[in-house]
Amino acid sequence: MQSRIGFIVNPIAGMGGRVGLKGTDGVLKKAVELGAKPLAPKKAQEMLKEFVSNFSKNEGIKWFTCKGDMGSNELQNAGIKDIEIVYETADKNTSAEDTKKACKRFLDLDVDLILFCGGDGTARDIFEIVDNKIPILGIPSGVKMHSGAFGINTSATAKMLHEFVNKNLTIGDVEIMDLDEDLYRKGEWNIRLFGIAKGIVEPTYIQVGKSFYESVSDDEIKDELTEHIIDEIEQNNDYLYIFGPGGTIDYIARKMNVDNTLLGIDAVYKKKLVGKDINEKKILKLLDKYQNAKVILSPIGAQGFILGRGNLQLSPRVIKRIGVDNIIVISTPSKLVHTPVIRVDAGDKTLDKQFADLEYIMVVTGYRFSRVVKIQTNNF
Amino acid sequence: MKRNPNAFLNEEYGELVKKSLDWKLRILETGSTPHSVVDGKEVIMLCSNNYLNLSNHPRLIQAAIDASKKYGAGSGSVRPIAGTMKLHMEVEKRLAKFKGTESSLIYQTGFAANAGLIPQLAAKGDIIISDELNHGSIIDGVRLTKTDRAIYKHRNMVELEKALNNADKKYNRILIITDGVFSMDGDIAPMDKIVKLGSEYGAMTYVDDAHGEGVIGPDGRGIGAHFGIEGQIDVEMGTFSKAYGVVGGLIAGSQDLVNFAYNKSRTWLLSGSHPPAVAAAQLAAIDVLETEPEHVKNLWNNTNYFKKELKSMGFDTGDSETPITPVIVGESSIAKELSNLLFGEGVFALPIVFPMVARDKARIRTMMNAGLKREDLDFALEKFEKLGKKLDII
Repeated sequence: MQSRIGFIVNPIAGMGGRVGLKGTDGVLKKAVELGAKPLAPKKAQEMLKEFVSNFSKNEGIKWFTCKGDMGSNELQNAGIKDIEIVYETADKNTSAEDTKKACKRFLDLDVDLILFCGGDGTARDIFEIVDNKIPILGIPSGVKMHSGAFGINTSATAKMLHEFVNKNLTIGDVEIMDLDEDLYRKGEWNIRLFGIAKGIVEPTYIQVGKSFYESVSDDEIKDELTEHIIDEIEQNNDYLYIFGPGGTIDYIARKMNVDNTLLGIDAVYKKKLVGKDINEKKILKLLDKYQNAKVILSPIGAQGFILGRGNLQLSPRVIKRIGVDNIIVISTPSKLVHTPVIRVDAGDKTLDKQFADLEYIMVVTGYRFSRVVKIQTNNF
Repeated sequence: MKRNPNAFLNEEYGELVKKSLDWKLRILETGSTPHSVVDGKEVIMLCSNNYLNLSNHPRLIQAAIDASKKYGAGSGSVRPIAGTMKLHMEVEKRLAKFKGTESSLIYQTGFAANAGLIPQLAAKGDIIISDELNHGSIIDGVRLTKTDRAIYKHRNMVELEKALNNADKKYNRILIITDGVFSMDGDIAPMDKIVKLGSEYGAMTYVDDAHGEGVIGPDGRGIGAHFGIEGQIDVEMGTFSKAYGVVGGLIAGSQDLVNFAYNKSRTWLLSGSHPPAVAAAQLAAIDVLETEPEHVKNLWNNTNYFKKELKSMGFDTGDSETPITPVIVGESSIAKELSNLLFGEGVFALPIVFPMVARDKARIRTMMNAGLKREDLDFALEKFEKLGKKLDII
C-alpha cells in the first residue's frame, strides 16, 4: 500500500545557531544581519538524497508538500517527482504561521506521517496543530533539538523513514520539548516539556517460537511497568512516590486511577494522589511531611535525559533530599533503542558527580525486569 | 454463536504462513552426515550441530545396537520410579570425570535441563542476572520463576558487575546465567571473569554450554576446561544432542547440585528416561572423546580454514571464536536469498534474520563439521564466493 507523507521544511531553522543565538524564533532579522545562511534546505536535501539512493528508492510513496524552499524544492532536488503541492506561502519570508497552516492541510489530507526539517520550535509548531493525531519525524536542523521526534542525524532519519515505509517500525510516544521563552527572557534557561506527540519507534519483540518473535505493543509493556510500580509501592507502604513527567509515567498513573498531570510532577502516597503538578517548593514541603521518598523517572526527549530537561522542579535540593539511590528509572524497551544512554543534568556539580560515579543505572523495562544502562552527565 | 474451540489453530498458522514465518521443514533422506540428502538434493551440511560427526561413528552405533539387544528399546519409566538403569548411572559418573566435576546429571534434553532447573534456583526475593543474548531455553527457564531479572549487555563484564553491585544489597540469592558459546555469533562468554565476579559477590554461576560441549577446551571437555576452571562453575549445563552426536541434556557440578537438581527439576522427574540405546551411545561418545582426539582436531582445522578463506574473500564473519561462523550480509532479505541460492548450489546453511539479530546484521550461520573434507570446504567456499559477488555482498 502507498504511504502518504507530508513533508515540510522550515527554511530558517538553525540560522540562529550559526551566529550564536539560542534559536531562530523571533530573531531571524538579527540572525541574517549577523550573516546567518539558511541551513535547513541543505539538511533536508541531504536526508532525502540518502533516502532515495540508499534505501527505498522512493517506491510507493505519495508526497504532499509546500511550494519552494518549504518542501518542493528539496524534494525535486533529490530527484523525487511524484509530489503534490498543498500549501504555498503568501510571504517570501516564512514564519511559524506557515508551518501551522501547512500542517492543517496535512491533517485534512490524512497523511500517514509528517516528515519535517527544523528544530524544537518547528516541532512545537507542528505539534500545536496535529497534536498526537499524526506521527511526526524530524530531520535535525535547528539550534535546539531536545524533542524526541528527531532522528540522530540525516542518515539515521533516512533509515527510520525507510523502515517506517516498510512497516518495520511502529508508532509510539515522543516528547515535544523546547526552551521556555518566558523564563529565558528573565535570564533562566529551562527546557520545558510541551507535550507528548506520536513518533516512530522500534517495536519491542519477544521470542515466542524458535526463531519467531512477536512484537509487543507499547501499551502492553506499559501495563507490565504498571504492575511493577504497583508492586513496588505496595512493598514500600510508607514511602512517598514522586512521579516525573512523560507518557510512560502518565500511563502508569492513569492505570492506578491516580489523577496526575502528563507534563508536571505529581506525588503519590499509598497509591493516592497527594500533590498535583507540584513545584520545587511544594515537593520540598511534602518531603518534610513524609520521611521516605522515591522518585520515578523516565528518559525524556531525543537525548534520553532523566533529569534537567522538562522537569526542573526536581531541583538539586529535591534530588539530594530523596537520594540518588531512591531514583527508579523506567522505560519502554523501544525508547531505550532510541536513547541507549541515560543522561543527567542535575543542575549541581556535586550531584552530577554522584551520578557520574554510578556510571550505570538499572532501568526497569518490564515487570520485575531491568537492564543495565550507561549514565552520562553534563559535566563529567 | 457457539464458539469454535479450534478455529485459532488454523487462523494463527495461516498468519504465520502469510508472513513467511512458518517453519518449512526440510526432510533428511540420509543420516545427518557431512554430505546429506535434503529434500531430494545432495548438499554439503553446514547447519547441523553434529560438529564432530559422532552420530555416524561406528562405536556409538554399535553401542546403541548392543544396549538395545541387551536391555530393550525403552527404559520403562521415569528416572525416579523405575527408569534408572545402571547405564544411566555409568554415563553420569563418566561424564563428571570427563568434565572434572564432582558429579553430573543427565536430563532428557537440554531444554528440559534449563526449563527444569533454572526455576528451582531462584525464587521471590532473588535475582537472575542474564546476558542479553542468552538462548531461548534459558529465557523460558527464567520466565518460570517469580524472581527479578536484570539484563547486561552481551559479554560486558563492567555492566555485569554493576548489576551485581546493585543486586548485592537488595536480594537474597543472585544467579548469573550465560550461554557459553553464543549460538548466533559463535563467540564465547568470558567465563573465567564471570566466575571471579560470582565469587566476589556470592553469586551462583550457570552456563549453558550446549555449543561448547565437545567443541571447546582440551578434547572438547567444554567451557570449564577451556578456561582452566573445571569444577569452579556452579552449574555447567550442556547437551549430548550436538557435538556428542546423540541426544540429551546434562548438568555438571557439585554433588549438592545434583542431589538438589534431581529432586526438584520437574522436567527430569516427570519425563521418561533415555532408552538404553541412547545412554549407551552417550557413554560411547565420552569414550571416543577420551581416546580419539582427531575429531576435535579436525573440527578446528576445518573451522580455521573455512573462516580464514571466507575472510580473505571479504566476508564479514563477526567475532566468532568457534566452529559457528556467521557470514554477515546485512539486510534480512539478502540473507534469505543467499541461503536459497546456496541450497540450489548444494550447500545447506540457514539464514538468521531480524529480530534474531540486529536489522543490519542478518547472516548465514554456518556450523562446521569434523567429517567434511578439504574439497568439500573448497566446494562450499567457491559457492559462497560466486553468490556473494552475485548479490553484491563482497
